[in-house]
Amino acid sequence: MTVAVVLMALFGSAWLLAVIEGWTTTGRLSLAAPVLSGLAHLGRESIVPRSPDRVFFEAAPVLLLVVAVLGAAVLPLAPDLIIADLGTGALFINAALAYVLVALIMAGWGPDGAYAMIGGWRFLGQLIAYSMLIVMPITAVAMRAESLVNTAIVGSQAGLWNIVYQPLGFVLFFIAAMALAFRAPFDLPIAAGELAGGVDAEYTGVRLAVLRLARLTLVVTLASATTVFFLGGWHGPLLPPWAWSLIKTLAVAMSMLLAGRYLPRIREADLMRWCWTLGIPLALVNIIIVGLLVLVVP
Amino acid sequence: MYAQAFFVAVFGLAAIGFGVVVFRTSSMVRSALALLFSQTAVGCMFLAMQTEFLGVLQIMMMATEMSIMAIFMVMFMMDPGGLGGMDMSHQKRFSIGAGVSAAVIAIAVALLSDWGPAADQVPDAAAQTRALGMELLGRSMLIFETAGITILTAMIAATAVAIPVQNPASKNDTEASE
Repeated sequence: MTVAVVLMALFGSAWLLAVIEGWTTTGRLSLAAPVLSGLAHLGRESIVPRSPDRVFFEAAPVLLLVVAVLGAAVLPLAPDLIIADLGTGALFINAALAYVLVALIMAGWGPDGAYAMIGGWRFLGQLIAYSMLIVMPITAVAMRAESLVNTAIVGSQAGLWNIVYQPLGFVLFFIAAMALAFRAPFDLPIAAGELAGGVDAEYTGVRLAVLRLARLTLVVTLASATTVFFLGGWHGPLLPPWAWSLIKTLAVAMSMLLAGRYLPRIREADLMRWCWTLGIPLALVNIIIVGLLVLVVP
Repeated sequence: MYAQAFFVAVFGLAAIGFGVVVFRTSSMVRSALALLFSQTAVGCMFLAMQTEFLGVLQIMMMATEMSIMAIFMVMFMMDPGGLGGMDMSHQKRFSIGAGVSAAVIAIAVALLSDWGPAADQVPDAAAQTRALGMELLGRSMLIFETAGITILTAMIAATAVAIPVQNPASKNDTEASE
């Protein structure tokens, strides 16, 4: 039952995001548009390139979807609404999301196309930039909760959300999460207009439908992770806990989409430089500040 | 108990299977990712043996490590896609001998060692993580810190070697050659 509810919330949020994304780009609000577009993909021919690495080509979209769902499986919507409340939940989500890279390398290498391959390897460079900014803010969050259990992390924010307790960590994690979800301005592996779609370029029909669904689901998973780690999870007045989780998750996901619409795409070298020369020192400062706060403030 | 043994065996066989694929393919990316899935299967063995932290850590670390290895293999091998029909194997007899003897030794150690009685109860995942943390920051701290500093030194040295020499003389040479 819990599994069904969480999956419905996940894919329902992904659908809502697609509706809003369509609304902001075309100006027309259509609730059926994402579903119709998905059905249209199913009806189209799903072309296989001439000499693909067939295993990678077929596995990549499915793997991307699976890791997004696995990541969501350890994030609580409410105190008892979580698929698996692992003892190492905060670490597990890192492990699951590390396979986003593997999926994109497979999607890049699989079709035997130049643009796709550049897109896939670009994401490897992107990971070198953002990965520390995912791990280090989560470390500081776990330090405050003194636990890697995600429900305990939400519990530790009952009095004060982490966005107030460690705002620096929130900013870094939010930016890194956008880079992990390869949304604009960090959409280097896709890079429409420059790489002709990158890792998306060679996918058509049902495979493209799975890939797009996986991308949207990944955004929702990362927004949910931001909510759990920094926005107090299910905490909030009046409404039931699951409603607060959903509202916050959708708000974070929409702010990610919105930020992407108004920022130009970043260059890979600049992303790398800023992440390493500015981001990582700031993340270390955040860990030190949180360490001091944990020790000094009762 | 039997279910646990079953899953340990399944993931163990998967690890060996993917390990064989590493050497059966000529594509460098397939080879690297086969090694990744072999290591992921080892991580799943840890999970089946109820060592959650180690399992999740193994699964997480290997994803990035093997992907980075893949791009280096693509960069440095002459036939990264394996489509050119180039034979990249060498010293076959020696490798077969070394592989078989290593396998025999490993199996002998597994069968002949006295492993002691199997634990009936294991601490839960959170308690294990705590115990591991105490171990890493207690008795084993010196070992891990030494290893960490060694790796850091190697990384700095490798970066230093990779950066072109920037002294005025060589700069003039570069400009002259351009």
